[in-house]
Amino acid sequence: MQIFLQLVVSGISVGMIYGVIAFGYQLTFATSKTLNFGQGEALMTGALVGLTTINFLIGNHFGVSVAFILMIPVVLLFGACQGSVVEWLGVRQAIKTKSEAGWIMATIALGIIFKNLAENIWGRDALKFPSPLPEASLDIGGIRIQPMEVAIVIGALLMMLAVEVFNRTSIYGKAVVATSNDRDAAQLMGINTGRVITFSYALSSMTAALAGVLVAPVTLTGASMGAVLGLKAFAVAIIGGLSSGLGVVVGGLILGIVETLTGFYVSTGYKDVPGLVLLLIVLSVKPSGLFGKSAIKKV
Amino acid sequence: MLKIDQLVASYGKVRVLHGITLQVKKGALVALIGSNGAGKTTTLRAISGMLRPQSGSVQLGDAEIAGKPAYEIARRGLAHSPEGRRVFPTLPVRDNLELGAYPRLTGARTKGDVAADIERMYELFPRLRERRGQLAGTLSGGEQQMLAMARALMLSPEVLLLDEPSMGLSPKLVEEVFATIARLKAAGITMLLVEQFAAAALEVADFAYVLENGKIALSGEAAKMRDDPAVRAAYLGGGH
Ligand SMILES: Nc1ncnc2c1ncn2[C@@H]1O[C@H](COP(=O)(O)OP(=O)(O)O)[C@@H](O)[C@H]1O
Ligand SMILES: [Mg+2]
Repeated sequence: MQIFLQLVVSGISVGMIYGVIAFGYQLTFATSKTLNFGQGEALMTGALVGLTTINFLIGNHFGVSVAFILMIPVVLLFGACQGSVVEWLGVRQAIKTKSEAGWIMATIALGIIFKNLAENIWGRDALKFPSPLPEASLDIGGIRIQPMEVAIVIGALLMMLAVEVFNRTSIYGKAVVATSNDRDAAQLMGINTGRVITFSYALSSMTAALAGVLVAPVTLTGASMGAVLGLKAFAVAIIGGLSSGLGVVVGGLILGIVETLTGFYVSTGYKDVPGLVLLLIVLSVKPSGLFGKSAIKKV
Repeated sequence: MLKIDQLVASYGKVRVLHGITLQVKKGALVALIGSNGAGKTTTLRAISGMLRPQSGSVQLGDAEIAGKPAYEIARRGLAHSPEGRRVFPTLPVRDNLELGAYPRLTGARTKGDVAADIERMYELFPRLRERRGQLAGTLSGGEQQMLAMARALMLSPEVLLLDEPSMGLSPKLVEEVFATIARLKAAGITMLLVEQFAAAALEVADFAYVLENGKIALSGEAAKMRDDPAVRAAYLGGGH
């Protein structure tokens, strides 16, 4: 029982990361009925930019914790720019021409380009990311928890909460919701819906980049860290609901926990299998209507 | 205030509007009537930018707006309450009203007192006050229609386009809607009203155009049209 609980607790933090990436898929799908298949690469580039930034700050005599906090705005800004570029290069034209496949190919291609760029800049090896919190585990009733795992959960929840509060209370957030509800009607209100879609891409990559620097101190970082995360989170997003809601958090947590259980009771070598099997099931159960029929038409 | 000249619009290759010319003077209520499929909705969509016209001119005040994106036309003060209401279903009534004032709240248009205007909408449509916290998607058809009109008014528009505000409503509610339109007219709001209830529309309007197969077939003062036996026979049949 003790071991089981330990595995569940360990699964929660990685599950939160899946949840956050899936949340990012939701953000762009809501406004544009398109999504960024390079979402995992957004997480990866965010983490690597964060790594360079934090090492620079540490090199300039900042403490690790202070450096980590100072790094976050840089990473958020980078994520926002990266997401805007993806929307601009890969999605905008496809939406204009109502192309159903255009954005899929384009965002995959951009993801590969980002990965290649990262390999050239940071190399192919996994890199150690300085941890802002003590790496020694806390012992809570016999269950060991890394402080950084707690930070992941809190950081992820705060980020989603911030987006929700923005959408519900500010006029710009309401314009985002209005665009998700009915793009034409939103335009009649004077809302530049094209700009809202760019914004949702920026926000989506921003959340991925933040997830990247939250998870990096626990795992390792490197050019290849994003691809599998992005795929699994896609399965989570399809199951949890692409349009909105907390289903993605629940789905992410379940997947994270199943994975750590598989890793322990079966073999760590099979840790990635449940998520990818889930993806295969999703693809075969909902072959045509992945994005919902009406959704594709509206693009 | 609104001047349309030789407006041509198509859906794909199918031409629907074959050169519409019409005018709405400041403070006037102009009705655009015609049978189903005549092109009334398309005319309004081409004016507000929901549909990009192929050629022709649309002047709002002194500015040419044909071909501009819908959001920019709205920011210049043209409000369009579209066919089918199109309220934002997952947002509460109050937020729908606020979004009507989006250009005012974001600096694209003179701000004025938005809160006071929302209050004025609640006075004009008391049902909306009762429902202000409720999601717009849960309102009845009549309430959604009121919300769509109120939301459009929140722009403090120079011109208001109304597309079949009576559609799908019970006779009692239709009467209420027309009473509201008469009140808006008395308040000096410039309006272009599309209606299938031609008789009722001619009752409140100053001037009217009859649209037939994408062309203006007839135009004149509403009062004269109402009494014209030829018009009555052709367009006001069916006892409306
Ligand atoms: N989205 C559309 N795509 C193609 N044709 C359309 C579309 N909307 C309307 N039409 C056609 O355009 C014509 C005019 O329609 P509409 O403007 O809606 O007429 P009205 O509002 O007077 O009933 C009709 O023949 C209709 O079939
Ligand atoms: Mg119509």
